[in-house]
Amino acid sequence: MRKVTVCIFSLVLVLTFGGLVFGGGAREEAPTNLVYMTAGDVNMLALGQHVLGPQFEADHPNYSVMTIHTGPGNAGSQRILEKLLAERDAGREKWDVDVAMVHEIFMTWAMEEDLLQSYATELDTWQYVTSPFAKSALGADIEGYAMPMFHSQTALAYNPEYVDDPPASFEELVLWVQDNPGKFGYNGIKGGMSGVAFTTAWVYWQTGAYEKYTSGPFEQSEVDAWEAVYEELADFNEYVTITAGNVGTLDALNRGEIWMGPVWVDMFFTFMDEGKLDPNMRLALPEPGLPGQPMYFVIPRQARNPEAARDFVEMVTSPTVQAKDIVQRFNWYPGIDGSYIEGKVPQEVFDTIYRDVSPADLARKSQAFPLADYFSAVVESYERWID
Amino acid sequence: MPVIRTAVAPPAARRRGGIPPYIPLLIPAVAFMLLVYAFPFLSSIVTSFLDQQGVPSLSNYRRTVDLYARDIIFTLLVSVSNTAGTILLAIALAAYLRVRNSRMSRFIGHVYKLGIFIPFVVVAQMMRTFLAPHGLLNVTLARTGFIDIDSPLQLFNFSGLTFGFMWKLVPFAILIIYGGFQMIDNSYLEAARSTGAGFFAMVARILVPMNKSSILVATVLVYAQIVSCFTLPYMLLGGRTPTTITVDIAHRVTYFRDYGSANSLGVISYALVLVAAAYYLKTSVRQYRQGADNA
Repeated sequence: MRKVTVCIFSLVLVLTFGGLVFGGGAREEAPTNLVYMTAGDVNMLALGQHVLGPQFEADHPNYSVMTIHTGPGNAGSQRILEKLLAERDAGREKWDVDVAMVHEIFMTWAMEEDLLQSYATELDTWQYVTSPFAKSALGADIEGYAMPMFHSQTALAYNPEYVDDPPASFEELVLWVQDNPGKFGYNGIKGGMSGVAFTTAWVYWQTGAYEKYTSGPFEQSEVDAWEAVYEELADFNEYVTITAGNVGTLDALNRGEIWMGPVWVDMFFTFMDEGKLDPNMRLALPEPGLPGQPMYFVIPRQARNPEAARDFVEMVTSPTVQAKDIVQRFNWYPGIDGSYIEGKVPQEVFDTIYRDVSPADLARKSQAFPLADYFSAVVESYERWID
Repeated sequence: MPVIRTAVAPPAARRRGGIPPYIPLLIPAVAFMLLVYAFPFLSSIVTSFLDQQGVPSLSNYRRTVDLYARDIIFTLLVSVSNTAGTILLAIALAAYLRVRNSRMSRFIGHVYKLGIFIPFVVVAQMMRTFLAPHGLLNVTLARTGFIDIDSPLQLFNFSGLTFGFMWKLVPFAILIIYGGFQMIDNSYLEAARSTGAGFFAMVARILVPMNKSSILVATVLVYAQIVSCFTLPYMLLGGRTPTTITVDIAHRVTYFRDYGSANSLGVISYALVLVAAAYYLKTSVRQYRQGADNA
């Protein structure tokens, strides 16, 4: 009974003082909290808590980074949006969130609601950014409002034991699957985003309307004309294996069930590092390309500590941190131009990551996902005409 | 035996016109049920009849039938056939455990319960590697010369799903049915044996007829678990079609934030289990009444 009382008392104490600190009522010596809210998988939480936070605190002893994780996928970004909307609607002068890590779709929502401040072009590290994703996200003009932290890319993974010469284009891929039935695998559209990315690329390739679908405007007549595109994909599917998810494709590749399939590049390298994928596997990025997506740093319009938030973003987008943590540790492609990290990562890491897909390939063949309406149409058309 | 009535309010309270004393006691439990079960249940039904703008319409159901009719039929087939298979196998094994008393049966009696404690997500992950084209099962069969590894058994489909569901749910059904079988007095079985009844005759003529209620309960619970299971079909089938309603619900939410259609799929799954649930309720009410009458 006494223990319980002590526990409750300590809890109350912690909550009270925690609240004081969070509410800005701390004594002068206590470091100021820099609130960093991140969407994404649990690796994003680990990145904030164990890597970026401690590094920033070492350089800025009067700040303490508080990492808050909102969950994977668009739903995670949605929660950050709700938090900012709530603070705006409450009419607060200073908002709690200093800096946030969000998906592309968030940018379209937040720009509409005017929740962000323009800061990125004033950063020292803006000079290293060459990605078109820093200028627009799913059709929304975002230049200055977002700084890409890393880039996830899909590519075709293949087993060189069976595939000497991977298809250089979608035309060659179609011929390849006919010669090797069942040996190309992807996860359809209900098993994860790598399959959705492949389907999107298929639509871009068949229609040749990449520019239109990524910049708009949305026209239903375009979507209505896709039936033939999906019939071709249904024919293609006759020769392929549908796998059980993003991981399912990598597993099937590793077990030799399939010889080729679209995968997320960062998962591909992480699986290799962890010994879950044969290190001899290779990547290819066929013409006209496959989609990828960045995650962005944004600073809310009324952030409490905007200066520190900028320093934080600048630190993470510096070539050193991008090389060591983003590329080497987490296997993402950097948010800044890949050429600036050369020499800062061990040459073998650089060579591994860029061996099959070079920075030049990425600049030319990394596609964006289409506008939100086209994106929904790509997925739903698959259900309508293929399932 | 004298009947003791304790739960009925004393007549004095009624005469005074006040609230019977059991009402305040019921409030926390009832409020909890209403808030946690009834509210989400009703709100999902209501939202399924609203379109994206919140206007009453049948558009969600039109889309559901348009896109997912095949998946609904698939779900029904998977649920009914796997329930039947699970229950038949569970009856056979429970009867074996009940009738035979050997070292083997005692061993099985201890081991079978393992599956009950393993969550579906773990079963799904096991099945993903066990049933894969180059997974443990196929490789073993290939090494022993039963199949050619270049044309392995394809089990990421209805068959694999059946295997997974049975692996997980047969033990659960045995637990319920075997419990019922243990209530039957040995004298019935001994009498049957002495007049020459074999194993199958004892199962069909004594164990099953005397245990209809526990078998019914097991059937309803297994069926409801299969209809509502998400992880096994999601992890085993992945992007394959047809798939189950639960996978479609997740898909509508993840890619379209379309809670309307997700809810209409949900309502259809309620309808799928409603028949079974109604039967279950009817049976338990009847049993309760019989119990009360006997008392």
